[in-house]
Amino acid sequence: MVAKGQKRKLHREDEGRGAAWESQLQSVLDISMDKFHRDQALVEPSLLRSVLINNTLRQVQSEVRAQVESLSAVKILTKSQTHSGSEPDFPRGPPPSEHNAPLFSLNAENMEDDFMAWTSEEDFSLSSAISVILKDLDTVIDAGGQGPCAPQRAPLGSVENLTGDARLVQSSSRAEKMSDMMPSIKMEAACPGCPQDVSLDKLLLDIDTSVFEPEVNLLQGLSDDLVKYLPSLSKSPSASSSSSLDSHGQATWEIQEIEHVMDILMRTYPQS
Amino acid sequence: MEEESDSRKINNSFLRDHNYATEADIISTVEFNSTGELLATGDKGGRVVVFQREQESKNQPHRRGEYNVYSTFQSHEPEFDYLKSLEIEEKINKIRWLPQQNAAYFLLSTNDKTVKLWKISERDKRPEGYNLKDEDGRIRDPATITTLRVPVLRPMDLMVEAAPRRVFSNAHTYHINSISVNSDYETFMSTDDLRINLWNLEITNRSFNIVDIKPTNMEELTEVITAAEFHPHHCNTFVYSSSKGSIRLCDMRAAALCDNHSKFFEEPEDPSNRSFFSEIISSISDVKFSHSGRYLMTRDYLTVKVWDLNMESKPLETYQVHDYLRSKLCSLYENDCIFDKFECVWNGSDSVIMTGSYNNFFRMFDRNTKRDVTLEASRENSKPRAILKPRKVCVGGKRRKDEISVDSLDFSKKILHTAWHPSENIIAVAATNNLYIFQDKVN
Repeated sequence: MVAKGQKRKLHREDEGRGAAWESQLQSVLDISMDKFHRDQALVEPSLLRSVLINNTLRQVQSEVRAQVESLSAVKILTKSQTHSGSEPDFPRGPPPSEHNAPLFSLNAENMEDDFMAWTSEEDFSLSSAISVILKDLDTVIDAGGQGPCAPQRAPLGSVENLTGDARLVQSSSRAEKMSDMMPSIKMEAACPGCPQDVSLDKLLLDIDTSVFEPEVNLLQGLSDDLVKYLPSLSKSPSASSSSSLDSHGQATWEIQEIEHVMDILMRTYPQS
Repeated sequence: MEEESDSRKINNSFLRDHNYATEADIISTVEFNSTGELLATGDKGGRVVVFQREQESKNQPHRRGEYNVYSTFQSHEPEFDYLKSLEIEEKINKIRWLPQQNAAYFLLSTNDKTVKLWKISERDKRPEGYNLKDEDGRIRDPATITTLRVPVLRPMDLMVEAAPRRVFSNAHTYHINSISVNSDYETFMSTDDLRINLWNLEITNRSFNIVDIKPTNMEELTEVITAAEFHPHHCNTFVYSSSKGSIRLCDMRAAALCDNHSKFFEEPEDPSNRSFFSEIISSISDVKFSHSGRYLMTRDYLTVKVWDLNMESKPLETYQVHDYLRSKLCSLYENDCIFDKFECVWNGSDSVIMTGSYNNFFRMFDRNTKRDVTLEASRENSKPRAILKPRKVCVGGKRRKDEISVDSLDFSKKILHTAWHPSENIIAVAATNNLYIFQDKVN
């Protein structure tokens, strides 16, 4: 279902991009993520293999991002107003084990919703392919997490509701979970709009992975830094009622905040 | 035939299935020594088998020197790294012979972490007639000894002994992929994914790091070293290849740490061929200097390239090994075949190059006539002393008789390791757990 038209030529930069290219993009992404996961499970994956798979993933990521940008550049003008604030309700309650996967799946879902709202007749195939890719990333991210993956929005909500000491405690346990999830966070770089690159943390031999074991003592010291950033995170994607581009940008900005927190954590643990 | 199959059914727990190949028998490296008299193979189980060419006899001139087993020994054992809770594989990654200096033969063999120097020597005489002990070694009762006798050396059946003389260990964090003996015959280098170390053959407790491409932040790692080799004549020069398809030539006189290359060989990417797999298929799996030292040969997934050391911008010659796989890269990525590391070899005069492919095929390219041939190493298709029939893979729809279509290729049968005799037209081809030795036809 490849539609031809003036609009398409405007934002299609190179020839040969069509359903075939997208299906290959999709399969390369699937296969690469699968290999990435399998290698994570290995005690000692081959460094050459890891580097090659990682570079391929990066390439796919940049291709998808380029696609997203070209879409958004055109579609900002023709954005449909029927896009309603479709963010899910935030169940308030104690945070579950999955803190960060929900954040990213939420963002992915937001962007996916945006995409669906943007679809016009002729670009339906393209954007649906993109949304399929995003859905897959979604499931991968959820599946890649540890333990049951019910999409819980609670973490953000509960943090923003906590005050004072509770927030401190919350932030340190969140930091623990963050350091646990660090590899999978970095993996989510394949998610479009995520500026963070896939990291080789788990794959690398000479990084002592015990460094990343949660140690509350060390992390307590970081909690101050984290608290500074958590308020910004708590400005949750409830802004979905604003323009699509904004929420897209906001998702990126939030991801950048996470990245910054990660940098802090990484700097605390010097690598040999 | 009927009986056989019946007995198999009854006794199938006792009968060995002849098609089953023990994984430990998979040959992982093949190498002729500098005279071609000996051929060494290493396998996944850590064993080294050395073959020796029998002397040509005038009685049977049609039986040109054939290779027979000379020595077998266990070079490496599986080890356990307690610090990282990792098992170190005993698979022999590379064998390199040292030039012969006396009656004994020396070779270097390496697994992922440790290089060993082995001495292979013959013993064909035995001392006999000891004064103080019996023939079987027991000490005689001193009271019975009345005369003085000096032991005499008597000939015995030939015994070949292999003994480890040096063990070069604890120098590599990552997996060793290459070793190369220097032309000075005093040093050698061992290469892992990120570092190259220089050793003296006599000294095992110290090595010098000459190349280190490990970034401070491992997250920034995008390129690893895949192979390295010393120049055959200039003991200060070596090259190393990378996973991004580049080759760097380094001069050890320039600096102690050769992170800055003297020459950088890379072919600019062809934009029309660009795909998601461009980088993976550009990763160089093997690099070999020509015997003359003037040329360099590299093998990446689909091609073999010959470079002139004086021209860094592009290769001198490019040969397509199995270009019909280019449209199948996605499935080859999925089944991991795209990561297969094929080796390549020169013949003695540097006029022909050879490399392996799938379906037990191997290819030879004549650099002068520009002709190429595809041959198959398999028991079914070749009887001993029969001439190998050239094979052909058909890409298009119409398949001629004797051709094989791309989709029928067996990707589990890959020829990764081959060797060419240094002066004659004798080749050794390793097909999984079988070794084939082919010679030129004698008229």
